[in-house]
Amino acid sequence: MPDEETLEESVLNPVQPEIQDPLLREILEENELQADPSRNPLEQPAPLPDPNEIVDCLVIGTGAGGAPLIARLAQAGLRVVALEAGARHDPKTEFATDEKAQNFLFWNDERLSAGKNPVAFGKNNSGIGYGGSTLHYTAYTPRAHRGDLMLHTEFGQGVDWPFGIEELEPYYEEVEQFLGVSGPTPYPWDPGRRKGYPLAPLPLNGAAQLMERACAKLGITTSPAANAALSARYYQEGVGWREACTNRGFCQAGCSTGAKASMDVTYLPVAEQYGAEIRTGAYVTEIERDATGHVTGVVYEQGGRTVRQRCRNLFLCAGAIETPRLLLLNELALNSGQVGKHFMAHVGMQVWGTFPEDIRPYKGIPGGLISEDTHRPKDADFVGGYLLQSIGVMPVTFATQMVRQRKLWGQPLRDYMRDYNHIAGINVLGDCLPHADNFVELSDEKDARGVPKPRVHFTAQENEQRMNRHAERIMRQIWEAAGAKDIWAFERYAHIIGTARMGTSDSEAVVDPNGRAFDVPNLYICDNSVFPSALSVNPALTIMALSLRTADKFLLQRKAAG
Amino acid sequence: MPNYPEGTVRALLETDLVTPATRAALEARLTASTIYEPQFFDADTYRLLQAVAARIYPQPDREAPILLAPAIDKRLLNGDADGWRYDSMPPDREAYRLGLGGINQAAEARFQQPFVVLDEARQDQIIELLAAAEAPGENWSQLPQGRFFEEMLAELTEAYYAHPLAQEEIGYVGMADVPGWQHIGLNELEPREPEEL
Repeated sequence: MPDEETLEESVLNPVQPEIQDPLLREILEENELQADPSRNPLEQPAPLPDPNEIVDCLVIGTGAGGAPLIARLAQAGLRVVALEAGARHDPKTEFATDEKAQNFLFWNDERLSAGKNPVAFGKNNSGIGYGGSTLHYTAYTPRAHRGDLMLHTEFGQGVDWPFGIEELEPYYEEVEQFLGVSGPTPYPWDPGRRKGYPLAPLPLNGAAQLMERACAKLGITTSPAANAALSARYYQEGVGWREACTNRGFCQAGCSTGAKASMDVTYLPVAEQYGAEIRTGAYVTEIERDATGHVTGVVYEQGGRTVRQRCRNLFLCAGAIETPRLLLLNELALNSGQVGKHFMAHVGMQVWGTFPEDIRPYKGIPGGLISEDTHRPKDADFVGGYLLQSIGVMPVTFATQMVRQRKLWGQPLRDYMRDYNHIAGINVLGDCLPHADNFVELSDEKDARGVPKPRVHFTAQENEQRMNRHAERIMRQIWEAAGAKDIWAFERYAHIIGTARMGTSDSEAVVDPNGRAFDVPNLYICDNSVFPSALSVNPALTIMALSLRTADKFLLQRKAAG
Repeated sequence: MPNYPEGTVRALLETDLVTPATRAALEARLTASTIYEPQFFDADTYRLLQAVAARIYPQPDREAPILLAPAIDKRLLNGDADGWRYDSMPPDREAYRLGLGGINQAAEARFQQPFVVLDEARQDQIIELLAAAEAPGENWSQLPQGRFFEEMLAELTEAYYAHPLAQEEIGYVGMADVPGWQHIGLNELEPREPEEL
C-alpha cells in the first residue's frame, strides 16, 4: 500500500510534513548534526552530575517497568533521571542478525539457580541496556484476564491483586495505542473491549499455520496473536514514523528495524524529549537513607567512577531478581519479610515436532498464533490457566535447548538438526502459584564487582506439574493432528515474577496498591517483582500498564500533598 | 534428511542482503585461523577437550572441521558468564577442570588408557557413559556429571551452530534479512532460500 493511502486512511497515522527523498533526508540530518553535535545521543559524553542537585524522581532501570513511568513523570514536568546498567545501542547499525553476536543484550552476570527446577536466566528472560529486557522480548502482548487478578477469590488458592482488571484496562488501552500493537479486533476471548488494536495482525508463519490447521480439526479456537510489532507503518508522538515489521523473526535477539516496540524506540525517546536524563552504563550499588528512613539518593558505578545522585523519590524498576537483590543488599523495605519471597516463573512447556512441510522457522513474528481456550479449561485439575502459542525459533537457540532436553550427540545430533527447516514448536505460558520454597536470596559467592550473587530457588509445585501435564497432553494432540513426527516436550520456566509483592497489608506485602513501599515513604517499586500472582499471559504489557498507573498514582499523591 | 547446496551462505555474505554488522560477525568465524593456542587450558587438557568435542560433533565430511574448543577456552579465560549457573555446579572453570579430568578417569577405569589415545568406538563408549551419568571416576563425587554433560553439550552446540557453515548445513539463511521476508507461510520460499537437494 502506498504511503499516501496510509496517511489518508488512518487517523492513527496523522499527516505530518516529511521529506520523502531519502538522500535529501540524510543530508539534512547530517547538516543538523554538524551544526549541533549534541543532538547525536551516541556521541554524548557521560554527564557529570551536579553533586548538590536533588532530582524529583530517580529511576533505576529502563525496561518495561521503568520506561513508561520515566516518560510520564517527565511529561508532567518533573526533573527525572534514570540509571541504566547497560549501554545505549543504535539497533540499525549495531544489531547483527546473529544470535551469538547479540549476547550483549542479556543480563549475563551469573545468578545461581537452585531448587528442583532451576530457572535459566540470561537470554531466557533477563536483559540489559537502554530499553532493558524489552530489547529481547518477543513483543507478545496479550492482556491479563479479570480472573488472573482474582485467583484466591476464584479458587481459594493463590493471591488476589489489591485491585481489579478495571484499574489496568485504561492503561492497557493507552499502551496498545501508543506502541502500535498489531492484533485481532474484536479479541476472541474478550470481545467487549472498548477499543480494538490499532493495527491489523501480523502475517502467520509456517508454525502458526500448522497450529491453526490442527486446532481447527480439534475444535480449539485460534487467532492471530497480539504482538507489539508493527504490521504497518505507524506514527508515534515524540518518536516519528516507525516502519512496518519485515518478518525477520529475530525479536528475541534484538529488532534492528524499530518495528518492535521495545522501550528504546517508544517510551524512552519520548521521555528524553520531555527532558528526562537517562544515564547508561550506570550500575547502582547503594541506596542511601536519612534518619527518618527516607531515601536520599543512590550511589552508582559508571565508567570506573563512583557517582552519587540525590533524589526526592526513588523508583526501583530493575526486575524480579535485581530489585530484591538491591533491597536485600541495602537492607531496605524488609519489615514485611516478603522481599525475595514467592518467586514465580511461568509454566512454559514447549512441544516440538518434525513435519513434511518446509517451515523455515526463522521467518515471521515468532508468536504468530494464539489460543486462550485453555484459560479455564473444563477438564482442568489445577488452579489458574494458560495460553497456547505457536513459536518460531532461531537455530542456535533451538539447538541448545534441544540438546539440553534430548541429550543427542554425535552423528544423530547433526542428523536431527538437518531437519531444522521442517521443525515447528508450540508453547504454553501459564500461571504459577506463589510458594514459600521459591525465593531469591543473596549467596556468599561474589561477582566480579564484589557484590554477592543472587541465588534463586525454584521448584515447580503440584499445581505447576498438573498444568504441565495438561498442557503437554493438549500440545501433543495438536501436533499429532498437524501431522508431526518425532514429537518431544521441553519442560521449561519463563518470565521472572514476584519477590516484592504488592498488597494491602504491610505485614504481607512490600508495596501498597499504588506501588509505594510500606516501609519507605519515597520509594516506589514498579516491575514484575510487585506482581502478587503470575498471570496466565506474558507479563510485558501488564508491566507497562502498571508503570503508567504507578506514575499516575504518584502524581496524584503529589498533587494532593500540594 | 534434507541436504542443502554448499557455498550458499558464503555467497550471501558477499551481497547487500546482509547488513555490515551481521557480515562482520559471521565472517570473523568463517575466517578464524585453524591454528589456536590454548590460553586457559594446559596443552594436554586442551587436547582432551578437542577429542571430546570431536566425538560430540564428528565432522568426517569436512576437510577443515569447525573448531569448537577455542570458544570454550576463550570464554573461560575471560571469565564470561551467560547469566546463570546450576547451583549444584562449581564455578565454570572448576567444572571444566573436574569434568574433563573425570572423562580421563572414566577412560582409565574402563580401558586403562587416557581418553585421547582411545579409538573412536571406545571414546564413544565413554561419552555414552557420561551422557547416561554412569561414568566412573572420583571427580564425579564433586561434580554432577549429568549437569556437566548438559552444560558442555550446550556450549559446544552454540559454538557449532553459530558457525556459518553449520548454518548452511541445516539450510538456515536468516542472516540475509536486509529486504525482509515476504513469503513466510508453509512451503513458501524466496529466491535466496536454498532448496533441498
